[in-house]
Amino acid sequence: MLVRHRWRRLVAPTVAGLVLLVGWEVGVRLSDLPAFVLPPPSQVAVTAVEVAPLLGTDVVTTLTEAALGLLVGALVGLLLAVLIAAFPWVSDTVYPLVTLTQTVPTVVLAPLLILWAGFGLLPKVVLVALTAFFPVLVAAVTAMAAVDAEHAEMVAGLGGTRRHQFWLVQLPASVPGALGGLRVAATYAIGAAVVAEYLAGQSGLGVFVQRSRKGYEVDQILVAVALVAVLTGLLFLLVDGLARLATPWQRPSSLSLTSRPGRTPA
Amino acid sequence: MTTSLSTEAPTTSAPALEVAGLTVTFPGAGPRGVGDVVALHDVALRVEVEEFVAVVGPSGCGKSTLLRVLAGLTPSGATVTGRPVDPARGRDTAWMPQRDGLLPWRRALPNALVGARIAGQDRVVAEARARALFDAFGLAGFERAWPHELSGGMRQRLALLRTCLPGRPVLLLDEPFGALDAITRRRMNGWLAGLDLAGHGRQGGAGRAVVLVTHDVDEALLLADRVVVLSDRPGRVVLDLPVPRDGLDEARRELLGALDPQGRSDGST
Ligand SMILES: Nc1ncnc2c1ncn2[C@@H]1O[C@H](COP(=O)(O)OP(=O)(O)OP(=O)(O)O)[C@@H](O)[C@H]1O
Ligand SMILES: [Mg+2]
Repeated sequence: MLVRHRWRRLVAPTVAGLVLLVGWEVGVRLSDLPAFVLPPPSQVAVTAVEVAPLLGTDVVTTLTEAALGLLVGALVGLLLAVLIAAFPWVSDTVYPLVTLTQTVPTVVLAPLLILWAGFGLLPKVVLVALTAFFPVLVAAVTAMAAVDAEHAEMVAGLGGTRRHQFWLVQLPASVPGALGGLRVAATYAIGAAVVAEYLAGQSGLGVFVQRSRKGYEVDQILVAVALVAVLTGLLFLLVDGLARLATPWQRPSSLSLTSRPGRTPA
Repeated sequence: MTTSLSTEAPTTSAPALEVAGLTVTFPGAGPRGVGDVVALHDVALRVEVEEFVAVVGPSGCGKSTLLRVLAGLTPSGATVTGRPVDPARGRDTAWMPQRDGLLPWRRALPNALVGARIAGQDRVVAEARARALFDAFGLAGFERAWPHELSGGMRQRLALLRTCLPGRPVLLLDEPFGALDAITRRRMNGWLAGLDLAGHGRQGGAGRAVVLVTHDVDEALLLADRVVVLSDRPGRVVLDLPVPRDGLDEARRELLGALDPQGRSDGST
């Protein structure tokens, strides 16, 4: 059983990826596509090694923006969720407006933010925060609204007021939901930072992509794409780990129910 | 030949709890009252200060519903008519739900402190008392356990601890020992009797009143000063029996007869 799970979770995607890469390599070589349209993966790998020393500052910039944006977004999202849960009028007035902000495309929002906040770190962090807070907010609001009646009744039956309900039941009950939203947000964060840099930045992976595009260096763009994927994966793992630490009471059930059978000890 | 505690006690002072003409109806699936479930019908209950009342009745007769109303909780969606006569001192009941209601994100000790925190008690004092009670309740060593790591009976004991800790004048306990084995149940019964809630032993004791819902007639006779029997749904009071100090067998027979009016009440021991 265990061997089969390991195989599926690790070996299967690796093999699929290798098959794709080999197919890509063979296809490009056979079809004589010029390298400025689609370079073979071997050339992308060579380029990656070449440009790696130059990418350090860009990666740091992008990671900083994404992490800060995620943090700010999560805090704002949770705070708004709390206000929405505590005051019905906030829910009625603010929730529709907040939902409206999510309909504004990033490419429109980014230039505006740059206009208002300059070319530095701030507009990028704001942009990442704007994309990150929404999943956190929605997940937390949903969790707070779906509080277990049994728990609310228990608090009321001991003489608890609305304030007690909030601190003892609603807020803690919203934490797993909010963390679920944060997991979703973590997958967007790097991408959002890169888009913001691409539109107007001085450093970061988005700037690197912009420069490479101007020079028709498709291999460099592909290196950046791979890097974004890797960084997103790392950020997701980090957030996932923090979420696990923050909800220790959930450990056994969530482990056995979600698709993590490979983690059961041998 | 039966000497009852509740009739001995003068009933001139304000009751700890009183409800009269209580009818609770849950809306049915059908339109305009079709299929409505009448959980309680015209129930009157008066609980004196320092009195221990047990409520028994068949499953589904409205015992939990009665306790909820006494706790000041409106059963969701229900129509409640009748007078929950609030004593002058206002909300001072502590209610223990039939399901334990433990908060999954709090370890055992913080769960036990929920009631004390709501009552605004000093944290350090409450925690010291809670630790002592963990011992008495056979929960020692499990202070840091998560609720899901506890057995059903342990969860019930923890919920009872949480309910008793704030020291509210009226305890409303909904089958607190339903999931316990006979031995542990006896120990918990002993503890509850030893609490001296009704102040039997000393004058001016704890001054607390208890309403206990149970399925166990012997438990009711052991703990309570008075046993109230509810009929099958719609629940109404069919017997209000002061527990005698001696002649328990006859009281038990009377209770079983009230619980099972059609059946023979002689076969049970
Ligand atoms: N929230 C509710 N909505 C609809 N019907 C309810 C609700 N709560 C209770 N009832 C109904 O009211 C009746 C009495 O329920 P209650 O829980 O008070 O019974 P009980 O005497 O405590 O039973 P048990 O001994 O099995 O715990 C039942 O028929 C039940 O179906
Ligand atoms: Mg019940």
